Amino acid sequence: MRRVVVLLLFGLAVSAAACWAGPSLNNLNIGATQEPSNLLPWEGAADTKENIMGLFNIGLTYFDSEGVLQPGLATEIPTEQNGRLLLFRDASGQIIRQEVLWTLRANAYWSDGTPITSDDAVFTFEVQNTPELPVTTRAFSNMIEEVRKVDDKTFWIVYSVPNLFYANVGGSIGLARHYDIAPKHIWEPIYRQVMQQVRANPEKASEIVEAQFLGSPPATGTGTVVGSGAFKFEEWQINQFIRGSRRVDFFLDSPGPVQNYIQEVTVQFIVNQATLLSAIIAGQIEASDDIGLAGQDPAILQAQLGNQAAVEVTPSGFIEKLNFNLFPECNTAADLLLGDKRTRQAIIQAIDRDDLAQTVFPGATVSNSFLVAGDVGFNEELNPWPYDPEAAEALLTELGWSDSDGDGWLDRVTEDGRKVTFSLHWVATTAGFRIRTGEILQEFLADVGIKLEVENLPGSVVFSTEYLNHGSECTWRGIVEYAEGGGIAQAPADPLSNELYAFDLTQPVVSEVADNVPLPANGFAGTNIMGWINETFDQLRADALKEFDLEKRSEIVKQMQVVYNEELPTVPLYDRVEIVTKATGLVNYTKGTAAARTQFWNPWEWGWEQNGAIAIR
Amino acid sequence: MLTYVIRRLFQVIPTLFVISLILYGLLALKPGDPIDEMRRGNPGFTQEDYDRLREFYGLDKPWVVRYWRWLGRAVQGDFGPSRQFGRPAAQYIFRYRFPNTVLLSGVSLLAAVIISIPAGVLSALYQHSLLDYTVTVFNFVGVSIPIFWLGIMLIYVFAVLFRGFLPAGGLATPGVTGTWPVFLDRLRHLILPVAALSSLQLAQWTRFMRSSMLEVIQLDYIVTARAKGVSERRVIFRHALHNAILPMITLVGLNVPLLFSGAILTETVFNWPGMGRAIFDAILVNDFNVAMVSLVFISLLVLTFNLLADLAYAVADPRIRYD
Repeated sequence: MRRVVVLLLFGLAVSAAACWAGPSLNNLNIGATQEPSNLLPWEGAADTKENIMGLFNIGLTYFDSEGVLQPGLATEIPTEQNGRLLLFRDASGQIIRQEVLWTLRANAYWSDGTPITSDDAVFTFEVQNTPELPVTTRAFSNMIEEVRKVDDKTFWIVYSVPNLFYANVGGSIGLARHYDIAPKHIWEPIYRQVMQQVRANPEKASEIVEAQFLGSPPATGTGTVVGSGAFKFEEWQINQFIRGSRRVDFFLDSPGPVQNYIQEVTVQFIVNQATLLSAIIAGQIEASDDIGLAGQDPAILQAQLGNQAAVEVTPSGFIEKLNFNLFPECNTAADLLLGDKRTRQAIIQAIDRDDLAQTVFPGATVSNSFLVAGDVGFNEELNPWPYDPEAAEALLTELGWSDSDGDGWLDRVTEDGRKVTFSLHWVATTAGFRIRTGEILQEFLADVGIKLEVENLPGSVVFSTEYLNHGSECTWRGIVEYAEGGGIAQAPADPLSNELYAFDLTQPVVSEVADNVPLPANGFAGTNIMGWINETFDQLRADALKEFDLEKRSEIVKQMQVVYNEELPTVPLYDRVEIVTKATGLVNYTKGTAAARTQFWNPWEWGWEQNGAIAIR
Repeated sequence: MLTYVIRRLFQVIPTLFVISLILYGLLALKPGDPIDEMRRGNPGFTQEDYDRLREFYGLDKPWVVRYWRWLGRAVQGDFGPSRQFGRPAAQYIFRYRFPNTVLLSGVSLLAAVIISIPAGVLSALYQHSLLDYTVTVFNFVGVSIPIFWLGIMLIYVFAVLFRGFLPAGGLATPGVTGTWPVFLDRLRHLILPVAALSSLQLAQWTRFMRSSMLEVIQLDYIVTARAKGVSERRVIFRHALHNAILPMITLVGLNVPLLFSGAILTETVFNWPGMGRAIFDAILVNDFNVAMVSLVFISLLVLTFNLLADLAYAVADPRIRYD
């Protein structure tokens, strides 16, 4: 018995030692708190999927850590100067049509050795625009008239409307943002078979598509998964990990001999953040993704890790904001005068946003815009709205608020003779940092006499259309807090504000209702959930939509920010940051700017310094 | 007995129907659907995309219509696809989740039963001894400490302080192959979650077994047996334990389906991909089909194990008859 116990303990110890693989085997174990739903090119676009797909695929182009657009599968980025971007104007000079010429690299191969050709691009678009398939978004592909093959490596994309983001990842053919072209030789047999069955049994279309397309082996990782990226898909143990091995035939070079760089990457899915942290400290995980450690304090984390790993703080491209319900149908907006910009200006000045940001999201910086700092269109000269409770109180007094009964809360008498107390409802998700935000906002606003009623609901409820888009029916009153993406150099980062703000320059107006305010008349479509309408802002936005020149467009967007900063339809709190850990010696695993979107933009450059990898990022 | 069993089995069908209707209705009442989840993570997702996908998946229909459609497919064994993982919901649950839960729960249950019965018996036989006090202290600790906290502490000690002696979580180490290494690796991953999960049951059942044994050894027939000169070992194991263990059968029987439903806290803390976390995640992200197949299956297990516990009781206690 004793011998069995000793053997077992020895085995466990040896087995434990086997886990310390990382640098010794030139491998990398990355921890992530979320798992992709599938590996299908046409469906889904969650951040985790973007990371995973980044391992196995590359787009026609990609943003590097400096925020510079680089050619990926393509030989060069099409521009008017190199003759690859043709813009057709009407008599008034308005661009009405656009054609883009792409040439694929001669040495670009799929991970099974098949050459990547124009036929893949043509086929990808065919699937993308097949009406029977539940393609996640057709925002870009709806603009495309045709993808036309010139030869095996060259093709045109013809747009019937201007597409400002034609060169960005996901902005060309319009797949989800990880890459642009899918392997025809893998997907065509599946696609043809599915469509044949769907057209023979249209009443069972969704069941057929779900089972045979969404659930096909390449999508679920149970069959041949072929990609264009630096790593070849090896296996997906669902709810555990995804593993890939380095491709020697990948066309982009590492800074040194390829054997000096990571040869195998495993992304482990660890749902609980505390468990992920433990695994990082224990050395089981050598790097974290950009989502898993959200809300952690980088200084405390670095102290816990010591010299074992570095903590990197990078801009996320997302801004945390307070969105007001401005619909007059809701008594809250009318009674509390939320529609008057002075109320919103009072609220922004009543909050010490710097203190809030450092408490709930350490490393984050205060925002005054709908664009993230560092973006090409970012306006540096906006009113910073510093913490000034006296100024807030003065504005509220100007609006007729006072503490008439001495209970500590502001009140006023409405035009119809009712006495109302300034009691504001605030809703956010149950994320830890937002629960803490509610508590802090309560304290700041109480100081100026505003009573904040805090409610935290699951994200699936807060972001549901029935809840968020039905503000005109007062499903939420007062304030809802969430984060929105903000950047004009790249494709829109977040759908919630697509139609409202400047970075949604890809979107044609999708409803007849002005400003895309969700109302019963348009089936609650649109993402202007606040119901904010401003003619000056609208005109500027319309001008920006027509402007292809990035510098000129940036100037217009800067003017839009001035309007926004004065009107404050939302109160911007802070630019969120991403916290990433990477074990000592791991090089080039960095995102840099928000434009790169993720650390997974350059997996071919990842390596261990101790194995000879050269740090270039 | 047979008539009783058949009658109970027939009751299962309408019960399951009502349960599934209530579950589906409750899930449908929750704001949000899978398309909202797509919208959340997707740049450029337009209203046209939203409307098109809702229509494609039939989510634009009233929930009662959707329920009948779901039921029609479910009775044929098709519970629809998982929106989260793009594969059949039933396959996802029974291939990827249920076996993990059975492994974790089974080992935990076994550990709890194997340790709690002798511990409870010894504690009762040596009442007020050092052994009894020690067992009692451990029981109170086990009952009092929240599982999630115990789990985090176990991880802190064995994974962080001892630098990965035992894994912080997960089911297996990527890349480990071969029968013996895989067995050891799985064992390493099981130790901490089993210790956390079984702690509460171990404590409760030990207390229960102790009380039950104390009650039985004071009964007249035990005194009589001793007076007749029956050996102490025979008195305890043959007469006392036989009766003292009867309530444990019911207790364990009723706990079995709960174990199959997964232990959400343990699974979350130890990153163990089991049923509990699957149900929780599915409800959070509106993956209705996964939630439904899991919850209906658990309902079926509860009904089945209730019946089995009743039957086991009849087998163990001849005074109980169902005719």
